[in-house]
Amino acid sequence: MSKCGQARAYNLDMEFAFQGFESIVGWLFINAVQPLLFSLDLMSWSEQAFDATAFFVGGALSIVVTALVCLPLERLAPAQRVSTRTNVRTDVAYTLVNKLGLLPLLSFGVLLALVTPVDAWLRLHGFAPFSLEDVAPMLAALPLVSVLLYALVIDFFEYWRHRLQHRIHWWWQLHALHHAQRDMTFWSDDRNHILDELIAALWLATIALLIGVPPAQFPLVIFATKFIESLSHANLRWNFGLLKYVLVSPQFHRVHHAIGLGHEGARHGVNFAVMFSFWDKLFGTADFRDEYPATGIRDQTTGRDYGMTFWETQWLGFKRLFNRA
Amino acid sequence: MKTRFISIVRLAASLALIGSLINVSHALKPGERVIVLNSGDGTVSIIDRATRKVMETRPVGKEPHHLVTTLDDSELVIANAASNDLVFLDPLSGEVKRRLPRIIDPYQLGYSPDGKWFVSVSLRLDRVDVYAMPSYELKARIPLAKTPSHVAFSADSKFAYVTLQDSDELAAIDLATQKEAWRIKIGKTPAGIWMSPQGLLFVGIMGRDHVDVIDPAKREVIKKIVTGKGAHNVFPMGNGEHVLVSNRVDGTIVKVDYKNLSVVGKPIKVGSGVDCMEVSADGKEVWATVRWEARVAVIDMTGAKPIEYIPVGRSPHGVYFKSHAKRDR
Repeated sequence: MSKCGQARAYNLDMEFAFQGFESIVGWLFINAVQPLLFSLDLMSWSEQAFDATAFFVGGALSIVVTALVCLPLERLAPAQRVSTRTNVRTDVAYTLVNKLGLLPLLSFGVLLALVTPVDAWLRLHGFAPFSLEDVAPMLAALPLVSVLLYALVIDFFEYWRHRLQHRIHWWWQLHALHHAQRDMTFWSDDRNHILDELIAALWLATIALLIGVPPAQFPLVIFATKFIESLSHANLRWNFGLLKYVLVSPQFHRVHHAIGLGHEGARHGVNFAVMFSFWDKLFGTADFRDEYPATGIRDQTTGRDYGMTFWETQWLGFKRLFNRA
Repeated sequence: MKTRFISIVRLAASLALIGSLINVSHALKPGERVIVLNSGDGTVSIIDRATRKVMETRPVGKEPHHLVTTLDDSELVIANAASNDLVFLDPLSGEVKRRLPRIIDPYQLGYSPDGKWFVSVSLRLDRVDVYAMPSYELKARIPLAKTPSHVAFSADSKFAYVTLQDSDELAAIDLATQKEAWRIKIGKTPAGIWMSPQGLLFVGIMGRDHVDVIDPAKREVIKKIVTGKGAHNVFPMGNGEHVLVSNRVDGTIVKVDYKNLSVVGKPIKVGSGVDCMEVSADGKEVWATVRWEARVAVIDMTGAKPIEYIPVGRSPHGVYFKSHAKRDR
């Protein structure tokens, strides 16, 4: 495509994706967030609060879109029968807290409070972090290519974060909360301990320091990634056909959550990839078996309790961290 | 009789049309573009100033917030805060001419009037960088907590004045020594800053509803001019009398007489998050970015109201066109 044609196509994409979305974000910011910032003497945080508002609206939209796609699919071809609705309701609560509260707050608070001073100190002392655009300057004019490259690199780091969650003992005590779901549905993606979410935000921020800040279109990639992640947790008999060797399918990820498979063996489990399944193939952890096993952790079958409600699961996570549960 | 009447009407209409074309050609340069920085999606919107149609939206870098022209007005300099670079555009057409890397976190920027210094304000990293011109050689990194926001220069180029948003201060940097010379407490969350030909600094007090007028010789605020909630940016009209103040929370623009230090006329309702402005050479038309509404407003200053809104990218910030009013300084 010619440079001009590329720019035109890009225009259409941007207009299509952003117009409606931006008006909702703007309306909410103007009528609720900005007056609050002004009355609390926080006007200096306007830009960050505007971005957090976009995360909030994006989170709400992604819940709606994901539910509209996944609910009918789960009804059409379920991988297992749901044993108790309470389990699912807990994960719905996790999704609401995560996508509407935690994600906007983390994007707003963690980056501002923790990462920026580190970045400032490093740069003041002459350490200019590496950026992907340093290697390929043409990326600056190709944000869509750039955004895919950033997505690939970040997904690589996400694969290794996930492996460490299973490898490091204390980290697994937090991550076990995510694996303890015996009634796994698309809502289960956000079922994580609050400390684990905080670590994930810091991990991502550190990567941003190492490879540069992804382009402004990156939230679109986040929402696409989160959609694939939610779908991969769905209670759904679907293996994506040949596409399973590229993207993480519901079957591929169900094997990762399987009792006796997902957290066992020399590598502390299989199928760690978050978005692109080829990382597992590359690092020898892929298991493409054509099965839909039961999900959970082995010690649940011998009576270990990981809690059922939102607060129970959080509290027991803290207790496990300090070897008290 | 009737035919003659129609002929006269046609003649008058033709003359009016020619007159308006002449008027347009005086006001606009041929092919003149308005350049709007969409800080939220890292693009520039290139708008035909005559038709007010967006011609192109072009990627430019990450977080382009502010822009400035070189002193000879030959290049438009865009500061990409998150890309850590400057991009130089043709000020008439908006075409990219060159890119200058390794300018760290440039948020707001400016050249000293004598052309010796380029100052880049890093809001996120709490510092101000001073570069020697014309080589853009980094001379000093000056830590300047907290949250340095906008910069203005003294007419003799001895000082750069920087507003500090989170510590509610104004700092003066001695450009010869590249050291902080002094700082004073001013209003809550100061943002935009401009120096009048009379040597007074006008600062938008974003956390409140006014402009602080500061006498740098006395190092004190000598007057508060109430303009509206979220007073943010200060931009001269180029007529030797007036300065425009944008008020983000009220969403208004207010004209201030910078000699008499008083408000002139009523606030013009523009939109929430109204921010940077550009004034036409005849002072009759002002273009203003409206951050939270993702659009740019064209304001008729004679009728004192917006006459058109043009949708642009996310969180539009800096705005520029070539045949602008003089920058009173």
